[in-house]
Amino acid sequence: MDIDAGLEVAVVDRATESPAQKKARFERDALAYTSQLYAAALRYTKNTQDAQDLVQDTYAKAFVAFHQFEPGTNLKAWLYRILTTTFINTYRKDQRRPQLSDGELEDWQIFEAASHTSDQGRSAEDVALDGIADGDVKDALAAMPEDFRMAVYLADVEGFSYKEIAEIVGVPSGTVMSRLHRGRKLLRESLAEYAKERGFNRGGSHV
Amino acid sequence: MSDLQWVSCEQIMPALVLFIDHELPTESEYQVFEFHFQNCPPCLQTMEHERTAIEFMQNLLRNTCTEQAPEGLNERILQQTQMLAGQTQVEFFSQTTITEFSFDGTTSIQVTQEFTQEIRHDFN
Repeated sequence: MDIDAGLEVAVVDRATESPAQKKARFERDALAYTSQLYAAALRYTKNTQDAQDLVQDTYAKAFVAFHQFEPGTNLKAWLYRILTTTFINTYRKDQRRPQLSDGELEDWQIFEAASHTSDQGRSAEDVALDGIADGDVKDALAAMPEDFRMAVYLADVEGFSYKEIAEIVGVPSGTVMSRLHRGRKLLRESLAEYAKERGFNRGGSHV
Repeated sequence: MSDLQWVSCEQIMPALVLFIDHELPTESEYQVFEFHFQNCPPCLQTMEHERTAIEFMQNLLRNTCTEQAPEGLNERILQQTQMLAGQTQVEFFSQTTITEFSFDGTTSIQVTQEFTQEIRHDFN
């Protein structure tokens, strides 16, 4: 991520920049993220055609608004914000998805008072995850409620901070925190289920 | 003894994930956590276990979600940029003309800076 920052150190004066220079700067800096945005778009839309359309729409909006982007700030986060907003406003509109009520997600409630002893049973579950397949991970992610999936993806794959995710998704940091925490827990449980099933299917004969 | 503040396990545990995610608000809070861990093996063990689980999941996800943008997509984005560059922000004299496209690209409107100001003036 430090490497990304290094690419944008060149001082740009947007007031005097010609359209051709702007286009060149866009192609050099923004187009470096097509694959990353595409992978994220696949998680959002869950199909390759919508994911490609979403990324293309994102780049159209990003180019038209590129004069608003402040050089030297986080370009990747800026692009993710456009991607996510576009997805929420356009692609998600028609979907009838079960919405999580906000009451369910009260920020600090989710940190159940953990005790030293409550974690004892977890090691076995984690060890079992070693045998998990790529397809299982993608299926488990896809099956998660969208808000949780986004939080986990943006934090754990892309490495964005809570504050960056809050700006990308358009919710308070506390909400990001609770979604991330709940999302990780869900994903862990669901992968443990996949692993268990695989274990049973192999007749438990893995030594 | 250090002059660092001692906080109870009950205060440490709920914020463990913030420590692991490097999301504690201040540097001094990291010192408070480190100090607690040095003196409380059970909390240290819980934190390390949780951190291992989170890092394991992060590695699993990062090694899985690695799709590359299809060639055709990169090509379409380049063409689209080329097209938009030809049509947006045509500057002449002190006037800026901006062409705005509707989302599906079927309709477009042209707005000049002066024109926009005139509209605003009419409504004032």
